Amino acid sequence: MRKSIAFFFCLFFVCTLSSQITNIIPTSTSIAQTSVADSHNWSAFNNPAMLGNVQQSEVGIQLDNRYLIKELNTKSLQFAYTTNFVNAGLSFTHFGYSLYHEMIYGLSFARNFSNIFSMGVQFNYYSSYFISSNSYRGALLPQIGLSVKLNPNFSIGFQSFNPFQTNIQTEYTIKRISSIFSLGTEYFFSPDFLWRTQMDKEISSNYRFATAFDYQMIEQMKIKLGIYGSDYLVPCLGVGFKNGRMGADLNCELHPLLGLNTMVALKYEFGK
Amino acid sequence: MHKFKFIFVLLYCVFSPLILRAQDAVNTAEQLIADIFEQYTAESEDAIDYETFYDELINYVQNPVNINKTSREELEHFPFLSDIQIENILSYVYRFGSLKTIYELQLIDGLDMTDIRRMLPFVSVGEGSDEKQKIYFQDLVKYGKNELFLRLDKGLETKEGYKLPLETENEESTQAAYLGNALYHSLKYRFHYKDRVLFGLTAEKDAGEQFWGTSNKGYDFYSAHVQLNRFGKFETIVLGDFRANFGQGLVLRPEFGMGKSSYVLNVTPRNSGLKKYSSTDEYNFFRGAGATVRLGEFNLSAFYSNKMIDGDTLNGSFSGIYKSGLHRTASEFNKKHTVNQQVIGGNVTFTHLNYQLGFTAVHTILNDILQPEKSVYNYFYFEGKEQTTAGLNYRLRWHKLNFFGETAMTGNGSLATLNGFSFSPLSKVSIVALHRYFSPEYETFYATAFSESSRINNESGFYLGAEVRPFARWKFSAYADSYKSFWPKFGVDAPDVGMDYLFQADFSLKRNINMFWRFRFEEKPENKSGSENTMPEVVPTRRTSLRYQLLYYFGDFSFKNLIEGNLFDKGDAVWTYGLMAYQDISYRFSKIPLKLDFRYQFFDATDYENRFYSYEKDVLYAFSIPMYYGLGSRYYLNVQYEINKHFSIWFKIAQTTYADDRESLSSGNEEISGNKKTDVRFLLKWEF
Repeated sequence: MRKSIAFFFCLFFVCTLSSQITNIIPTSTSIAQTSVADSHNWSAFNNPAMLGNVQQSEVGIQLDNRYLIKELNTKSLQFAYTTNFVNAGLSFTHFGYSLYHEMIYGLSFARNFSNIFSMGVQFNYYSSYFISSNSYRGALLPQIGLSVKLNPNFSIGFQSFNPFQTNIQTEYTIKRISSIFSLGTEYFFSPDFLWRTQMDKEISSNYRFATAFDYQMIEQMKIKLGIYGSDYLVPCLGVGFKNGRMGADLNCELHPLLGLNTMVALKYEFGK
Repeated sequence: MHKFKFIFVLLYCVFSPLILRAQDAVNTAEQLIADIFEQYTAESEDAIDYETFYDELINYVQNPVNINKTSREELEHFPFLSDIQIENILSYVYRFGSLKTIYELQLIDGLDMTDIRRMLPFVSVGEGSDEKQKIYFQDLVKYGKNELFLRLDKGLETKEGYKLPLETENEESTQAAYLGNALYHSLKYRFHYKDRVLFGLTAEKDAGEQFWGTSNKGYDFYSAHVQLNRFGKFETIVLGDFRANFGQGLVLRPEFGMGKSSYVLNVTPRNSGLKKYSSTDEYNFFRGAGATVRLGEFNLSAFYSNKMIDGDTLNGSFSGIYKSGLHRTASEFNKKHTVNQQVIGGNVTFTHLNYQLGFTAVHTILNDILQPEKSVYNYFYFEGKEQTTAGLNYRLRWHKLNFFGETAMTGNGSLATLNGFSFSPLSKVSIVALHRYFSPEYETFYATAFSESSRINNESGFYLGAEVRPFARWKFSAYADSYKSFWPKFGVDAPDVGMDYLFQADFSLKRNINMFWRFRFEEKPENKSGSENTMPEVVPTRRTSLRYQLLYYFGDFSFKNLIEGNLFDKGDAVWTYGLMAYQDISYRFSKIPLKLDFRYQFFDATDYENRFYSYEKDVLYAFSIPMYYGLGSRYYLNVQYEINKHFSIWFKIAQTTYADDRESLSSGNEEISGNKKTDVRFLLKWEF
């Protein structure tokens, strides 16, 4: 019990630390960006180990908008293909507009071992357009992910994006690419209600702490509530719909200073 | 159904000794009320009206709520019950029928033993009597209860204001001198017949106010009220002094609403409708008449108020309303009752099984023009003689979700809206989310709603609170609130952003040993002190505090230990600290009706920002949350003695001694020479 209390205190002290992660990685469908231990969702460029939990092949598209500014849109596409041995995924994301844009292409493989342990690896090719040289420059970035179910209700997840801190160097500048390490937990109070926490560290930023609840209110709908602390405390609210093979998610984040972030995602599951 | 009955009989056998023992001496209703109030105010720096809070709840000790006949509105009077718990109680009675004994409460989802112990003094179960039975005059005389309270307070050290001569050639000194003596006294008379007929008179003189002389002939403040409940079509009739509370408080709620506290789920205000006013706050009430009529599923309320308020008038205008009610000096006395305020308002509420809709409107007329001295921070404050505010409020239950909210608008078209929802996906988890937006131009006279600042304007924010009971005897509560302002505020010369977290772990080791740990972090901006820049320089200040409280009972003794520490950073990364600890010992004599409370407290707070507020036991109807910083100690003795069936007395003496070499305390008229401050209070209660 003392450990539990100590854990809670640690989480809240971490909350007080400022952090900010700036990257083009699309937000996950998990509310408050608590995807690292989300065993029910694979979100492109988040924890690749969750691809191992995907039961049926699926395709999804996603649009993220920041602060209602169209130049800050991120558009993503993801495809998962399941086999008995390993699941494979393809993903693509595009951020920006004609004069400035960044893209990532991803190829991932993951496997779930006995429903206890999942592991995934993703190969990302990052590409950015530099107007000064009117050219694209790119770099290959690995991404790894793990997920462990400690008991039927509790699991932890870990992932690292660009762990070797690869950057792009041009004639005039060095384009730094985010290097992120994430650790999170997922706890099922009941099959309908779960709680997730996550801590992120971008290598040159401070910590980010997030917590979220998912509640499957009815079979077709769930509501999602979360909050994360970085430089600012950002509340998040979302809703998820599922009807047969189709799924849709709408998440909103209210940045106290900059305004509203929204994410819309659509997913289609193929039959077996 | 039989299974349920069997379970509750079993639970009855197991738990009834605990519940019976819970009604022992240390857990009296008064103690419970004070404890509940302390939880509310522990994180608040606002002066909250304890008298009204106490009056409300003590009334239910004398007239317990019948759970089998109750309504949401009635249960909302109990602030320790969350909206979700109220819904669960009503739902249980609806689904399984009347409760057979009070112990059946244990079968209701979301109610643990702590909640039930808190409820016990205020509720009953049974078939109940006809609530609308006719009342005869002889019943009033025979069964009505009369109470008279006489209270006296005095500070033993002489304050600077009493030393100043009343008549000198120095005009400034004359204006500043206190006109009266240092004695505070008040007289209250209360009559009630069940909860149907309520009548009361209050008279009060604050310390420093003149009782008899050129300024005053008698008490400085008088108040009277009559409240009649459930008379024919009339749900409520109020005459004299009263309050009107509707919706989420964006339009009308002169009394304190729910704010941020360790009751993290209780964010919606309670206790709507018209009700008597019996407190000594000299501003936040109406004076006139009002009535609520029930027409099927509609409740219609209307009221009119006409009273004099305080302000510094000059040539038909005044710069602000003077709300303290203190008229101690000639200067303060000159502001007394200088402005006439008329308020006319009403509310229509439609209540159905799963939803409620309400509309509230209020129109205020002043006989002088309110014209604040313009500065940047008060640029949008109300200016003029008349104002109209109206709002629409709702409540809706859909599946397990309870939605609530209110949207209001003032005559100048400015908007305030507050919306949220709460739900309990499992009995051990409850969550609430609330969003509010109050435009900078929104400003109305009697609004009190969930917000960071006391003014309901210039704020937008999102609050998320959760309460989890993962294991037996443990409860975890947490909230996070993120907010911003759009315009400078007093003390903050630029739009700002702030955040606030609270986490509390409650643990009941045994029935008689309870403890909690509370952590709070708050970051909010303030003007940088000592800044010489022309442009506003606002820096984020951070305050972190940790509190541990242990409460235990041993026979007729009860003990409370508290230790609290805080750190404060005023934006310059230099942390100042505060430390405070106290020991409370209470003893109730078993053979004589005497109760003693003693506290010794130590505090060491480097700076004003590290100051502490801590609740103290007090005489009846009084509630102390003194503030202190510096180095020192405080101790008090509180005595309660029931002389006989009719008379009871309370006496309290408290002293603060500073050990940081200061030669005087406080400032201005309140300045005391020396390093000690001593207060004495006495209260006599006569029941007949």
